[in-house]
Amino acid sequence: MSGADPQAIRLHVEGLAKAYGATVALRQVTLDLRQGEVHALLGENGAGKSTLVKILSGIVTPDQGNLLLDGGAYRPGSLMEARRAGISTAFQELSLLPNLTVATNLLLPTLIKGAGGLAATRRNQERAAEILAEFDAADISPRTLVSDLSLAQKQRLEIVRALSHRPRVLILDEPTAALAEPEWLFRLIARITAAGDVSILYISHRLAEVRRLCQRGTVLRNGESIGTVSLAGTLDADIFRMMVGTSPEGHQPGQTAGTQSDAAPAIAVRGLTGRTITDVGFTLRQGEILGVAALEGQGQRELLRILAGAVAPLSGTIEIEGHALRAATPAAALSAGIGFVPEERKTEGIFLTLGTAANISFPILNRLRRFGLINRSRERTAVQGEAARVELAPRYLDMRIGALSGGNQQKALIARVLLSGARNLVLFDPTRGVDVGTKQVIYGVIRDFVAAGGSVLIYSTELAELVQLVHRCLVLYQGRVMGELSGAAMTEERLVSLATGHGEQERAAA
Amino acid sequence: MSATGTLPVARRPGGASTRRLLANGTFNVFVVYVLLFVILMIKQPDTLSAFGVTDLFNNALPLALAAAGGGLVVLTRGFDLSVAGVIALTNVLIATALPDGPWGAVLAVAIAGGAGLVVGAVNGYLVAYVRLQSIASTLATMIVCSGVALLVLDAPGGQVPDAVVYGFSGVLPGNVPVSAVVALVVVLLWLALRRTDWGVAIYAIGADETAAALAGIPVRRAKFFTYCLAGILYGFAGLMLSAVTATGNPNGGTTYLLLMFAAIAIGGTAFSGGRGGVIGSMIGAATLTLLQKVLFSAGVSSFYTGIFQGLVMILAVVIGAITARLAEGRAR
Amino acid sequence: MSGLDTARIATSPDERRTRRPRIGSDAWTVIGLFAVTIVMILASRLISPSFGSWDQARAILVLTSFVMVIAFGQQSVILLGGLDLSVGSMMTLGGILTFSWIGGSGSALIWGIPAVLLVTGLVGAVNGLGVTFFRVPPFIMTLAMGIIIYSVALGITGGTPSGQAVPALGWLFSHRLFGIPWVILLMALFAVLGTIFQQATPFGRRLYAIGTSPEAAAIAGMPVRRIVILTYAISGAAAGLAGILMVGYSGGATLTMGDSYLLPSIAAVVIGGTSIVGGRGLYAGAIAGAFLLTTLSTVISSIGIAQGWRTIIYGLVILVALVLLREELSLWFLRLRSRGGR
Repeated sequence: MSGADPQAIRLHVEGLAKAYGATVALRQVTLDLRQGEVHALLGENGAGKSTLVKILSGIVTPDQGNLLLDGGAYRPGSLMEARRAGISTAFQELSLLPNLTVATNLLLPTLIKGAGGLAATRRNQERAAEILAEFDAADISPRTLVSDLSLAQKQRLEIVRALSHRPRVLILDEPTAALAEPEWLFRLIARITAAGDVSILYISHRLAEVRRLCQRGTVLRNGESIGTVSLAGTLDADIFRMMVGTSPEGHQPGQTAGTQSDAAPAIAVRGLTGRTITDVGFTLRQGEILGVAALEGQGQRELLRILAGAVAPLSGTIEIEGHALRAATPAAALSAGIGFVPEERKTEGIFLTLGTAANISFPILNRLRRFGLINRSRERTAVQGEAARVELAPRYLDMRIGALSGGNQQKALIARVLLSGARNLVLFDPTRGVDVGTKQVIYGVIRDFVAAGGSVLIYSTELAELVQLVHRCLVLYQGRVMGELSGAAMTEERLVSLATGHGEQERAAA
Repeated sequence: MSATGTLPVARRPGGASTRRLLANGTFNVFVVYVLLFVILMIKQPDTLSAFGVTDLFNNALPLALAAAGGGLVVLTRGFDLSVAGVIALTNVLIATALPDGPWGAVLAVAIAGGAGLVVGAVNGYLVAYVRLQSIASTLATMIVCSGVALLVLDAPGGQVPDAVVYGFSGVLPGNVPVSAVVALVVVLLWLALRRTDWGVAIYAIGADETAAALAGIPVRRAKFFTYCLAGILYGFAGLMLSAVTATGNPNGGTTYLLLMFAAIAIGGTAFSGGRGGVIGSMIGAATLTLLQKVLFSAGVSSFYTGIFQGLVMILAVVIGAITARLAEGRAR
Repeated sequence: MSGLDTARIATSPDERRTRRPRIGSDAWTVIGLFAVTIVMILASRLISPSFGSWDQARAILVLTSFVMVIAFGQQSVILLGGLDLSVGSMMTLGGILTFSWIGGSGSALIWGIPAVLLVTGLVGAVNGLGVTFFRVPPFIMTLAMGIIIYSVALGITGGTPSGQAVPALGWLFSHRLFGIPWVILLMALFAVLGTIFQQATPFGRRLYAIGTSPEAAAIAGMPVRRIVILTYAISGAAAGLAGILMVGYSGGATLTMGDSYLLPSIAAVVIGGTSIVGGRGLYAGAIAGAFLLTTLSTVISSIGIAQGWRTIIYGLVILVALVLLREELSLWFLRLRSRGGR
């Protein structure tokens, strides 16, 4: 580490507080970011991480509190002021403009000008190419429209853009959520912390990666900073306790009970072909949890959406409990007993302006009618029953669902699917962006569901989650089923191997 | 193999840029315009005469300028209804408040641009800073403007000075219509604007306002600027209208309201923002006015012109959507 | 501070602190609007003693009925996230058909009114078809249909609609029950039914859902296309109904009878608190907006000033209403009341 004094404090946050009307987002946040340090920011959804990021990035002004950057007062009035002061952020919700090129996005808001004060396209592209090469992203072409990039490329672009401002403090908010190859980021971080004295505030739900990158971490809970710990000397259980406030015993991963191989088939798929999948076949039995593992964009989205009736396949058959699923509509899938929890809950799942109870009761809305009108008390009873199953507190039922945390919104979606009486759940990454406590609840719901005879097909980007949850796991690669693992053979290493196309030895072993 | 248990991603093929031409709304509407022009030439051989060409430009330019301004606002995902008010206002001002002689023409330009700028600034302030919904606040400003127009001139009448009429609806040496020059200037200015930070900002805001702000774009200022610019363009539309009709009409703006949006839609600018442009909108306006001429020369009763206009609008949008989807190739 | 919609950047507020208020911000908007309108009526007494009277209030309510009826369809469509620019022409069509089909014969009412509603509803359904199956943006589709309908009406009638007045319809306006014109009672019933339809039926709830998130609605298995087409049909029929009423009020039909109702229908809905992007807003708000606008134009036109000034004042009041009744303001008001739970 050259030039960086490990003890000197780069960013000092003290007593930060922020409320939106009656809603308190931050109560009392204090933390120190040292020079050249990679410092983790941990906490469940709703703990206040996003608000803290917004304040540090200059988007929001705090109600109270003190910020010192390298000893000087730091009071940014806008994003640009924060950037000029040396703080740059790669946002979780990417801040890229899809209808503009990579070059334009990188150089916004001020493009390089040429003659007559007009943007010089070629020089902008050259500069963009330089920046991309400097940060190990040369595979992205400056001329491409951002809408043509994959999600992983967009995430990398977001990070590169933040880095290109040569900040003193870099804030990375869930930077690996969409990343294909996290190693890319880790290499970059190693490089910039070694070379200069950039300090990094690293926000992530993934403890393993946090431990690898960061020396210290600060835990937020309910808008308060609970404490700053040295990660090496703190157990996961202790971190968990700080984040959630209770002990982790009641939240152990637990084991999935075995399943009977002669149970009736719940979902039988043969020769399913679509635009991104080819000849996919599998049988999911009642009482079974079948996992799907795949790299990003290998056809899993289309596969699950076909099962949910949202997309029509080009060919192939689907049988639900022995009956062929003919129509490719969500309504048909629903009546066949499929319950789908989609990928993006904010845009494909919840209805933001409606109440939580209203969000949950949709599947049985027609049955709640009396003289054509919705019977509110029957709705309430029905919804409360399912809410209890997913441990969603009754007081949330009256609130607008937009006011709930991501985890609770996900619980509401699951409650909706359960209320529909579905016997076969199709879940697309149901625990993404969901806090640890809620994850455990969801696992419990899934296990209870199959113990009662239902079947679950679950796609997840977290292999560890799949390994401990599912009975069997399919692996997709380039739209085909690369292999299927179960029991002792189902390890993370083998799953990755299949998912990256190295199939032969795995298929032989399985 | 990563220790964190996440998976690397496979490369996705890039999009084909050759199909973009077909999906380009401007190109499409230009093709339609050429087709209509050919039809008109067959029916009316004197179309290509000096008089015919000047006439075409003069008739199309008011709507084209309006569509240029309105198109700018639509690019930012807004709706500007005030066009009707500004056109009426500048029209009556020019028809009543100007002296004769060459100064009249200069003053007309100043009035048109000035009035448009003032209204645009008010709109911009209300939408960008007070954060009213654009469709509602521009509706209100439109009403206020038409009220002011009524105060200036309460019934059709007035007299547009000759300097304005001949100056703007006439021809320059070499039989080049003044209106063609005006159109060219606007096009050139637009091409330049596209390559400034403001131009990029307009497209960014239309695509995703929050992301634009996170990228450092001064969203409010850029929106304000857009409405001001649109207002000025509406003002000049009113100026051209005055030159063509040579009279003032306080209610003359209302037809422009719906037609302007029709022109913008036909021209390929998406109402969801971030896609399209001024040139397409102007060609769209020219196409609409040309359509009227073609129908008239084909002997279609003016009663039924509306049906054709409506159908063309729908067709244009449907075709545009189809070609856009073809260009996207395989979507996820 | 930076003008950003900060809520969009994932923040989950502390849930324990946020309770859903009993009277939502939407309802406060409605209350506010009615209050302003009543103040306006009372204040108009200052202009002339004959103002602010029951007679005037009655006249205003009668006039409000047209905008109110059209606004029901417009608001339903806007709730979906769409827009109906054809309501003016649709109203004209309804009026013309009523004039020529039912005119003069009282017995023709029985089949005539449903027929007119059916026709205008079907035309509205065409809007819905264009929007759903052909993916034409509602702005364009309804704009085009409006132009087409007007053109068709123009062509068929040759410029002057022919027919006769409908005495039975006129009866609604001239006769009263306990001093209240029958049409107002009818409108009150319409308002109640409309509100119940939107708030308490499955269709209504799905309307809000689709307006909030069409993708989520589709995935949840809702028949989105069917609902959209039906809603545009409802809008067409509502505009047709307004045309029917207008024939009763004015005793005739003209080609421009609906023109002056398009923009007020949008204004009433937007002032009433319905967001133009859909998903939230109450019909009661649109009614309040319609009431405010009609009161405003009545009071203004009775003032003996130039037409220009009247128009200016009308526009300014709409502007003021928009600024004052912004959602942010009602939320601020709510926060004031719930402060104390810091």
